[in-house]
Amino acid sequence: MGFDPGEEEQRRQLAAVIEQAGISVSTLWLHYFSMTGSVGEYETEAYLQGLMSLPALQRDLLAQAANELLPDRSELPRAPYSDQARESDPGEGG
Amino acid sequence: MVPSLPLDELSTVFARLSGMLLTQEKVDPALTSLAGAIKAAVPGAVGAGVTLIDAEGHRTSTGYTDEVVAEADALQYSLNHGPCLTAWAKRTTVRMDDVSADPRWPLWSSAVASMPIRSVLSSPLLYGSGALGALKVYASTPHAFPASSQAMLELTALPAATLLANAQGSDAPQRLSAGLTNALTSRDAINAASGVLMERHGLRKEEALRELLQLAETQSSTVRDTALRVLGSTAAGGRTPHGL
Repeated sequence: MGFDPGEEEQRRQLAAVIEQAGISVSTLWLHYFSMTGSVGEYETEAYLQGLMSLPALQRDLLAQAANELLPDRSELPRAPYSDQARESDPGEGG
Repeated sequence: MVPSLPLDELSTVFARLSGMLLTQEKVDPALTSLAGAIKAAVPGAVGAGVTLIDAEGHRTSTGYTDEVVAEADALQYSLNHGPCLTAWAKRTTVRMDDVSADPRWPLWSSAVASMPIRSVLSSPLLYGSGALGALKVYASTPHAFPASSQAMLELTALPAATLLANAQGSDAPQRLSAGLTNALTSRDAINAASGVLMERHGLRKEEALRELLQLAETQSSTVRDTALRVLGSTAAGGRTPHGL
């Protein structure tokens, strides 16, 4: 699998979203698992720390899992999908 | 052809196991019934006990068939010596054919002198390289346990240790048990809905899952609810829901 230039940005934004929302990695992982996510909790943790690469579908399931865990009508930014992360504005967030 | 993920089988196994996981409130009754089974299985036993011991030699849980077993056991841990502690520490079966004549644990022997305890067999609950605790049987007469009793106790200790090692209470299984059940139900629904989309649109599994993700996003719904709607549309007569 080749290097995906959007992966780092997608990962960074996902990590920021769950940190701001106070979602623990284990909570995120269990919800991702409930959505048929196929990597383990340790791999999820490693991905969030930038230590491991994941296929786009798994990254998008993690993003969707995080977004579903955000409170209703939350003002918090949402985690991007792989096709959105590439187009994201680098000035956004921080 | 995308191979099906072994995780689904694993998760089913895990769910079965989590049903067996013991919370602290359930450990003692489980040990008590184990003690009862040992008493019934070991020839000559008039009392039996199971004790779980932590790495520092402290008793963490206990189950016994008779009050006298509980008392004799408690004495070992307050005196910090006795046949079961030795069985646990040395990871080998300890046999006392006559408590009143055995010089190895004098404090304990004299403490139980007034109790109906003359023969003792104790086997460690071995698991991996460690010992989780010990099983013990008592009899009120000396030389009460033939070699077959020892063989039976040791035979019981092995599966008991394996089960206890996997079933001991901890916070994580408690946290998971409800969440995991929901997660598995949701996984089933999403997998089934993916299958419907695969057949309906000739998609590969990954494509079907991505379709569900996109539907959930455009409908501001969860993937699980989207999957349930897909399944509902099938149950309602195969009508394709809006957007499919």
